[in-house]
Amino acid sequence: MTKRWTLLLVALAMTLAACGSTTETTEPAAATTTEATTATTTASTEPMEDVTLRWMTRPDNPEEAAVYGSISDGLGLEGITLEYEPGDNEGSSYQDKLLTALSAGTAPDVFWIPGTDVARFVQEGAILDLREYAAATGHSDADFYPGPMGHLTTDPATGQPGDKLWGLPRDVSTFGIYVNLDLVAEAGVDNPLELEAAGEWTWDKFKEVSEGIAAIGGEVKGYGQSNWWGPNGAWINAAGGNFFTADRTGCGLDTPEVAAGLTFVSDLYAGGSTVPFGEDPETPFRAGTVGMFQNGRWATPGIRTVEFNWDVVGLPEGPAGPGNWLFWGAYVVNANTEHPAEAWELVAALTSTDVQAQVSALGANIPSRVSQDALDAFLGFTPPSNNQAFLNGLANNPTTEGPLWAGSWPEFDSVQGPAVQAVITGERTIEDFTANICTEAAGAFGS
Amino acid sequence: MSTPDRSTHRPPRWFAPLVVWRGLVVVGLGLLLLLRPGLELEGAGGAAALVANALFAGLAGAAAWFTYRRRHRGRLLGFATDLVLAVTVGGLTLNRLGFFVGLDSVGARFNQRILWIAPILVGMGISAWAERGGESRPAVKRVGWMVSLAGTAALLLAMGILGAIPGVVGRIIEPVNLPWVIVALAAALAARLGRSDASAEFFATDQRQAEHLDGLVFIAPNVIGFLVFFAGPLLFSLAISFTEWSGLRPPTFTGLDNYADLLSDAVFLRSLRNILVFCLVAVPLTVGPAVLLAALLNSKLPGIRVFRAVYFLPSIAGVVGVTLIWKQLFNATVGFLNYTILEVTGFVNSVAGTAITAPQPLWISSANVAMISVGILFVWQRIGFDTVLFLAGMQGIDGSLYEAADIDGANGWARFRRITVPLLKPTTFFVVITDIILALQMFNEPFILQAPSTAAGPGNSTLTPVIYLYQQAFQQFQIGYGSAVAWALFVLIFGITLVYFRRQGEEGFLKA
Repeated sequence: MTKRWTLLLVALAMTLAACGSTTETTEPAAATTTEATTATTTASTEPMEDVTLRWMTRPDNPEEAAVYGSISDGLGLEGITLEYEPGDNEGSSYQDKLLTALSAGTAPDVFWIPGTDVARFVQEGAILDLREYAAATGHSDADFYPGPMGHLTTDPATGQPGDKLWGLPRDVSTFGIYVNLDLVAEAGVDNPLELEAAGEWTWDKFKEVSEGIAAIGGEVKGYGQSNWWGPNGAWINAAGGNFFTADRTGCGLDTPEVAAGLTFVSDLYAGGSTVPFGEDPETPFRAGTVGMFQNGRWATPGIRTVEFNWDVVGLPEGPAGPGNWLFWGAYVVNANTEHPAEAWELVAALTSTDVQAQVSALGANIPSRVSQDALDAFLGFTPPSNNQAFLNGLANNPTTEGPLWAGSWPEFDSVQGPAVQAVITGERTIEDFTANICTEAAGAFGS
Repeated sequence: MSTPDRSTHRPPRWFAPLVVWRGLVVVGLGLLLLLRPGLELEGAGGAAALVANALFAGLAGAAAWFTYRRRHRGRLLGFATDLVLAVTVGGLTLNRLGFFVGLDSVGARFNQRILWIAPILVGMGISAWAERGGESRPAVKRVGWMVSLAGTAALLLAMGILGAIPGVVGRIIEPVNLPWVIVALAAALAARLGRSDASAEFFATDQRQAEHLDGLVFIAPNVIGFLVFFAGPLLFSLAISFTEWSGLRPPTFTGLDNYADLLSDAVFLRSLRNILVFCLVAVPLTVGPAVLLAALLNSKLPGIRVFRAVYFLPSIAGVVGVTLIWKQLFNATVGFLNYTILEVTGFVNSVAGTAITAPQPLWISSANVAMISVGILFVWQRIGFDTVLFLAGMQGIDGSLYEAADIDGANGWARFRRITVPLLKPTTFFVVITDIILALQMFNEPFILQAPSTAAGPGNSTLTPVIYLYQQAFQQFQIGYGSAVAWALFVLIFGITLVYFRRQGEEGFLKA
């Protein structure tokens, strides 16, 4: 009997602890950021009550998750207790958990979504328009890169930037080419960084370097990239093409520019100097057997563990110049939050210069603010020595990753992905691709 | 058995409140039925909720009536309705109070304070020590219990129980929560009362009826768990499959549209083709070698148990970890498989003076090879488990049959073909069916071998129905369509199983 009552008591206590963990308040840690503190004092026009906010983001690695945890502990927003829920990374299906939580009504107050998902979340009424809260705090859209802000201010009724505010970008990134300098030296080819400095870093030179490194023989390959829309699309961008029409209401893959980009990359792979298309290039690059590896800034923490000399160079110039992407994701506010003003305050604090500097110190992300302070801070976080390569990618008119306000991005991606892959691997002719791809992708635009 | 004379029973004090309570439950469920508050689901989901509500109201009405009539049936039905009500309302209320979300935090805190369980373990150790040598030392045992109790209290304090109490109490007494807390507690109390000895005596429950009720109590946790975590979601997904639902807005009833679309969905049909071909190839390649391996392991050689354990290891290893390792092995440029091929070919060339070019398959990135890689992984994982099942089947075969065969001059192959294989049919049936079902549900291996964004593999070569339903539901937010894929797969698995079952049944061994 005693044991039974003891067990009952323990169960009751655990229940209390579980229920209490969403309501209890703790003394916030001292503020570590000046901007966060400013936000605290100016964000809300309503009287502050002691509230608890849950927030979640998708880190790219455990180290980044730990940084976000420490940021959450150190924000020190007055009257707000933060509960940081480390969302899993992309491979662990962050998106599944978020959608399930939203369906069940248990999603956090503030969460991160990829740039390509903003339209869907807006159209489904899942996230809040923050403009009225932002207006009360002196927020300026111009503090952030215009590409992401264009999508984050889009009015779903028109599909054009308007007076909405769906969130603020957490960070941005561009592609660079990670270069194994030891292999470059061993192959005796031109150093890509020197070629870039001399303004000679073109597609032809890129191919020459790739083939030169692969000529070392054995397991060594000249170049590798992952198989998804980003790396494939970078070649299309550099050729002057685009996935979509200029107003993003239709398919743009049937143009000569797209064909030129895909033809180049297809020829590159057919030449055999590359990691086979579709194979993971990061593992062999980190093993020291691949000369060049295209990826975003988020790959830097992993690359920092390698034991050879390496650096980063920008993407080579194609017929239309140095094409690149501007990748981004945004903190948004759950439409069902009970504390929208406080949630906005949290979004503002999480995108402050100082907080972005803390995240950037890890090396995974570029601040989403355009301020010189933020960029200077980013440049100091080495290796790589040539952090400027990523910033050049931002400066050279990159194509902004974004959602489809008049269509379904996932559906479009599910069509273009296999089709582009088939062209690059030689299983489909570029003529057939150009003639038919936009018909195949028409369903993504509702026709 | 004589019917007890209930007129001589004077109702105990709790009887009137119990009747009133059960009457209130009926009224409450009736109102819910009429007003349908909170039933946001429209179409099939709403209809299902309405039917469930009506059924439960009917059950509660019967419970109230028979309770009023002082029948044992009232005790039985009342206990069932009270239990369901307590669990349902209690669960929903805990959810409103943030219990399930809070469990994550409790788990995290527990991890951080894991060392606080040391005093509890010490206390348990003292208690165990008090019983050593078959001799009981009550004083020492009491000390052990006290230490455990103190350790538990300390752990709870360290986990923030004191800080949690004011917040929880504040939430409980909020007007939106308090009525539900009271309903859940009242239902739990009524269920407890319905199970009491006093209740049994008053309702003149006989031995058989008492055993019946005890049986219900024993299976209740399992039944409730089954209903909540299996049957409920299953039926929910069936209802959702008749809707268009993004997961973020209420679903829209679309009838059989999703199923009609499946029939003309080339990608879905491709996934079906992939998985059926996979089954036809991978299952025989798993079962056949498993039988031979079991025959080899069914001997009394020294150290044979070690071999049995080694072959079984892949089946107990975590599928994610194992697949990640295989992903590295399959890597076309730095993977061990291609390296081995290269080295072996080089050795052959050097020994034989040939100039054979070593093939370097693109295990993951080639449309022609990717599914073969999944097959290799599947066979590697399943073969050990199947071997153990066959081994158990072989060891159940009567040894005298083999002795008789020996006397008749049968050799090893004849004994295996004429005795072992026929008598393994029940095991073979089970192994084949489970392998087919597992193969048809293939998800983890191709999903991990490829990246999440390209899980369908090169040219959709590793696309399986489960991957397709995942893509539809979670990547394209078409949960209704994804559910339809799931049910189409269920029908396929059920159909194949039924056909195979009947075919095997015709051969007779299933009836044996």
